[in-house]
Amino acid sequence: MSLAETLSFLPYGQYALYIWLSYGLTFILILGLFVRASINYKKIRIQLKNKYAREND
Amino acid sequence: MWKWIQKLASPKVFYETTNKLIPWFFWPFIVLIIIGLYWGLVLAPADYQQGESFRIIYIHVPSAWMSMLVYFIMAVAGGIGLIWQIKMAEVVAKVSAPIGATFTLIALITGAVWGKPMWGTWWVWDARLTSELILLFLYLAYISLNNAFDNPKTAAKASSILAIVGLVNLPIIHYSVKWWSTLHQGSMFNDISNPSMHPDMLWPLFIMVFAFQFLYGVLALVSARDEVLVREQNSRWVRSIVMEEQS
Repeated sequence: MSLAETLSFLPYGQYALYIWLSYGLTFILILGLFVRASINYKKIRIQLKNKYAREND
Repeated sequence: MWKWIQKLASPKVFYETTNKLIPWFFWPFIVLIIIGLYWGLVLAPADYQQGESFRIIYIHVPSAWMSMLVYFIMAVAGGIGLIWQIKMAEVVAKVSAPIGATFTLIALITGAVWGKPMWGTWWVWDARLTSELILLFLYLAYISLNNAFDNPKTAAKASSILAIVGLVNLPIIHYSVKWWSTLHQGSMFNDISNPSMHPDMLWPLFIMVFAFQFLYGVLALVSARDEVLVREQNSRWVRSIVMEEQS
């Protein structure tokens, strides 16, 4: 029994594996872009704060 | 118009404008993606030939479309930075690259996953697929070249030239299904007044394309805002913004 057949109980039947795999991977990649942007936002502000604090000392 | 562009070329104005624009892109993205996904996954009827598998179109086509649009924006912005020495154009080009590369990757992955049940294979060295893969390599080359130099000016110059040269790949991707005999299906919009899709299937596709455009807008604005802070870190206005956020 193939994986596509095993997962055919999900919505979209025999194509469930392909549809959910596509949407799942897309969600992960787009989420990755948002996470990266959020990490950069925090990292840059911390770096700049430290730089200015050092300059003020 | 020209005055407005000149004003936007100032890093401080650019930073303030991006900050203001972010919610104007984020909320339309959220609304459109919810409507598009619901319409595409639930309301749209199954295709008479491809069955339910056609629903992959609602992420495959918008991401493929965006992969080319973002590359075009990146190359044009790079060209503007190169010719008119506008630093903010360099910023737009730089921040667009990882976003465009991700759209290209999504288009390639969803295309492969769609190809398996329809063509019986994940991948073929077909003109459309190969030219899209070359687009991904162009993005990766641009990102690598941009990170290879310490001086942002030199990095922008070298990578912009690469982006402009790579523009030649866009018409190849678009017309590949016409110029060569390919496994990939042809364009659905040869005649815009008479598309080959039923409106019930077409409307959610349009909505998803707009949602992806707003998604690019949000991500580019957020990244551009941070990139400006890094580039202008020795300016007084950046110092005051960062210190204000701290207090």
